[in-house]
Amino acid sequence: MTLLKGTLDVLVLKALSWTPLHGFEITCWLEERSGGNLSVDDAALFQALHRMEERGLITAEWGVTANNRRARYYSLTSRGRAHLKAEAAALTQYARVVTTILAARTS
Amino acid sequence: MEIRSGITRLFRLPLHKSDLARQEMDEELALYVEERTAQFVSQGMSQSDARAEALRRLGGSIEDTRKRLQHSAARREDHMQFREWWSDLRQDLRYAARGLASKPGFTAVAVLTLAIGIGANTAIFSAVNALLLRPLPFRAPDQLMSITMISPAETDRPGSDNLPWSWPKYKVFQEGQNAFQDLALYSDDDFNVTDGDPERVNGASVSGNFLHTLGIVPERGRDFSPDIDAHANAAREVILSDAFWKRRYNAAPGMIGGKIEIAGEPHQVIGIAPADFRGLSGHADLFVPITTSSEEDLSQAWSLTYSLIGRRKPGVTVAQGKAAAELMGPRVYEAYRSGNGNTRPWGSTARPLDATRTAPLLRQSLLVLFGAVGFVLLIACVNLANLLLGRAAARRREIAIRLAIGAGRGRLIRLLLTESLLLAILGGAASVLVAWYGTHLLSVLNPDTALRAQRLDGLGVAGFSTIRLDNVALAFTFGVSMLTGMLFGLVPALQATRPQLTETLRGGGGPARHSHLNAISSRRVLIVAEVALAVVLLAGSGLLIRSLTRLLKVNPGFSADNTLTLRLTLPPGEVSRDSLPVFYYDLLDRIGGLPGVTGVAMADCPPLSGGCNGTVITFPDRGTVALNMAPDIGIHTTSPNWFTTLNVPLLRGRLYTDTDRLDQPRVLVISESAARTFWPNEDPIGKRVAVYQGGFDAGATVIGVVGDVRFNTIDSIPVADAYASYYQAPRSRLMLFIRTNGNPSLLAGPVRQAIHELVPAYPVYDIQTLSARVAAASAHARFSAVLMGLFAAVALALAIVGIYGVMVFAVLQRTREIGIRLALGAGRGKVLRMVMTEGMTLAALGAFFGIIAALALTRVLSAILYDITPSDPATYIGLTGLLGATALAAAYLPARRAARVDPVVALKSE
Repeated sequence: MTLLKGTLDVLVLKALSWTPLHGFEITCWLEERSGGNLSVDDAALFQALHRMEERGLITAEWGVTANNRRARYYSLTSRGRAHLKAEAAALTQYARVVTTILAARTS
Repeated sequence: MEIRSGITRLFRLPLHKSDLARQEMDEELALYVEERTAQFVSQGMSQSDARAEALRRLGGSIEDTRKRLQHSAARREDHMQFREWWSDLRQDLRYAARGLASKPGFTAVAVLTLAIGIGANTAIFSAVNALLLRPLPFRAPDQLMSITMISPAETDRPGSDNLPWSWPKYKVFQEGQNAFQDLALYSDDDFNVTDGDPERVNGASVSGNFLHTLGIVPERGRDFSPDIDAHANAAREVILSDAFWKRRYNAAPGMIGGKIEIAGEPHQVIGIAPADFRGLSGHADLFVPITTSSEEDLSQAWSLTYSLIGRRKPGVTVAQGKAAAELMGPRVYEAYRSGNGNTRPWGSTARPLDATRTAPLLRQSLLVLFGAVGFVLLIACVNLANLLLGRAAARRREIAIRLAIGAGRGRLIRLLLTESLLLAILGGAASVLVAWYGTHLLSVLNPDTALRAQRLDGLGVAGFSTIRLDNVALAFTFGVSMLTGMLFGLVPALQATRPQLTETLRGGGGPARHSHLNAISSRRVLIVAEVALAVVLLAGSGLLIRSLTRLLKVNPGFSADNTLTLRLTLPPGEVSRDSLPVFYYDLLDRIGGLPGVTGVAMADCPPLSGGCNGTVITFPDRGTVALNMAPDIGIHTTSPNWFTTLNVPLLRGRLYTDTDRLDQPRVLVISESAARTFWPNEDPIGKRVAVYQGGFDAGATVIGVVGDVRFNTIDSIPVADAYASYYQAPRSRLMLFIRTNGNPSLLAGPVRQAIHELVPAYPVYDIQTLSARVAAASAHARFSAVLMGLFAAVALALAIVGIYGVMVFAVLQRTREIGIRLALGAGRGKVLRMVMTEGMTLAALGAFFGIIAALALTRVLSAILYDITPSDPATYIGLTGLLGATALAAAYLPARRAARVDPVVALKSE
């Protein structure tokens, strides 16, 4: 299952809302949470990370992985947190509306 | 995992930022691909398949992905560096501002020094730019030339290369030449506008292509058609200035095509000039074709009235234009050669119009002032350097501590530099205020009228009223102020961050004294330079002020107190020549009867104005002379009581009276200079002369000699003048001189009213007190002297502040030494003398070098000085005294402080 346009950003923010993660950790987190139903487009992920970093929603810092490798860890800024809250609410609402409509039976 | 950005950034510093961004991104992507590959392998793929799949998902290769992302990464890096730079700068600025605020005295003096130095420079530079440099506001002004006629010197009369043209001679020139694409004549004239409330208006009589030649197109309506020059009595047309159209006619659009009345004749308004165009005089409100004159007026070949300008054809150089004009000279002369052949031929020449914009004398004064104000700037910079050196020296210990606890030298220099730059910016901002105000003063001061009276006016379009604080001057201001800050901030900063740490930290004693002495001695050199510069300015201003006082002492030949003057011109034909005397009687009678009036007289030309009538004089008893070889004489028409009203003394003979009428023998009064020139060893009374104006060419008798009156500039020596009575030489042009027993200005209203009742349709104009005219006559000298005096005062004040500052500092540094001297038994008087001697030595050295420089430099003043030489001993003695007295005061205060040092306290300190 591929993602609808525009939803990747929110999902990445959600992933980062727990703890700072590096690129592949984000992918794993998303794929795990979706129960394997979601496959992340790697190229799109990096575009999203850069885009959001530029907009100040997330920041990146170099850290060290469990395997002692240098990796860029992304974390949420306060702006990013606010963005996540607003977008998540909007998206949830959207999904509910779409579900309601699709669930309707013609009478 | 939390690593602060500052620390991670340390690793990256040596790399160029784009390399850095690439390397970081490759690293990040490589890790991702590795982990993805590992994931696929764990799901059972082969290593190579897994890697290929990982790369495919990323979008091909690491390289491609990175390239897509790189652009945004580089931008991010820029942003970060800017933020860091900005936060450093903010820190420096905050620190510098705190430092300056903690020393308000130092800051105020430094900012004020810069503000005055740079502000005055900008103002004068603006003036120089407006008057001397800025291109004239016409299309391709460098193609324009002023073309004049040359008359050779005759025995009694100097030659001139600056003579105007007559209409017929202009026609000859125009038809013969081929170097100029356009030629135009003009003369600045006054016009009586007589529709509605009569008004005297500045304007210009112009040839049809005047506007076209200058590249000016009317803003509304049309230009004169070129064929308006074809014949005399042309259609009565007029172009108005935008300002006049708005002021007098409320910008009524219907005016174009409508009529206005000039001297009683209706003229059709055909156009409105662009807003900023007011002729070459800069104040014309009307443009009327020359050819509206009569055939007879236009045919006067020797009526030299009109200035000629020409626009060179493309490709014709200035030299070629000049050569072409010179070639035409003899042809013009031959065409209208006067009857007798014994005069030398006239010529003609051309010079760039730009070269005529400012009279040479004024140009010289301005350049002198520009030089002087440059000296002020130099002194201001020296003073600032001095202040900064002193401050750096005083902060040596603080800087040493900072260095000791690990501050980088570069960072410290940057900090100190920020402080001096901040100072420069503050000074620069304050100087804009000074410059703005100074420029404003210069433009409203507007000595144009006074300069015109002194024949110092160039083209009015480049006059004082056009002075603006312009962008060039502003850029100049900021450039100089930043440069000053950089230069004089950097030197002390370098010096101060190079101390032997431990010595300085240990305290005042020991080898560290050495660098203190260094700082002090370099400040002493600066002080000597400052005093020397101030002396040059003092000498210059002293000379100008002495010259001005001499000028003010010149006796103009009449007394000007409590006298109002105004002009009145009757239109020709309005009052017939025969009834003019009756009109004069009525006029004088009516005004004489006003309350407060103690005397009223008339003359055709005011004193000290230049531009009075002149003609030649011959002596029937000395045989006949060709008229063009006869000597010149000024001719003035006055009412009989003019001499007594203005207190012009009668030296011999008698004055003319009311009974010397048209039907009586012609009589003349002459000036003392005329008597001395023409009858050196004889009594002129009763001699017969012929004066070629006002009907006196048939002969007249000299009946009296009066004291000389200066009719030209105040500094020109009196010339031979003759006076005739209005009752024997009626004229329609007259100026009234009204003496009162109170404030003459208050009479303007009642007098205007009285004249209006007598001749309702004609305007009264040029109303001024006679003392204002006298003051205007020395306006140029006053202008230079006042500005120069101001500069010298500023220079002196700065130099004195410098001496005082250095002496205070020197005393502070030597407190311990002075304490020891006092403890060992040196008298307080001796200490006082010691410190004073040091201060005075600096002043004396400065004065010595200054006077040498002044003697060399003030020679440029010789042309603008009146009756005084540039090496005038009294000036130099005076300035030495002034400098000595102020230096004494500046040295005394620190010296007294030194003498009061308490030895116990001094020895205990440090």
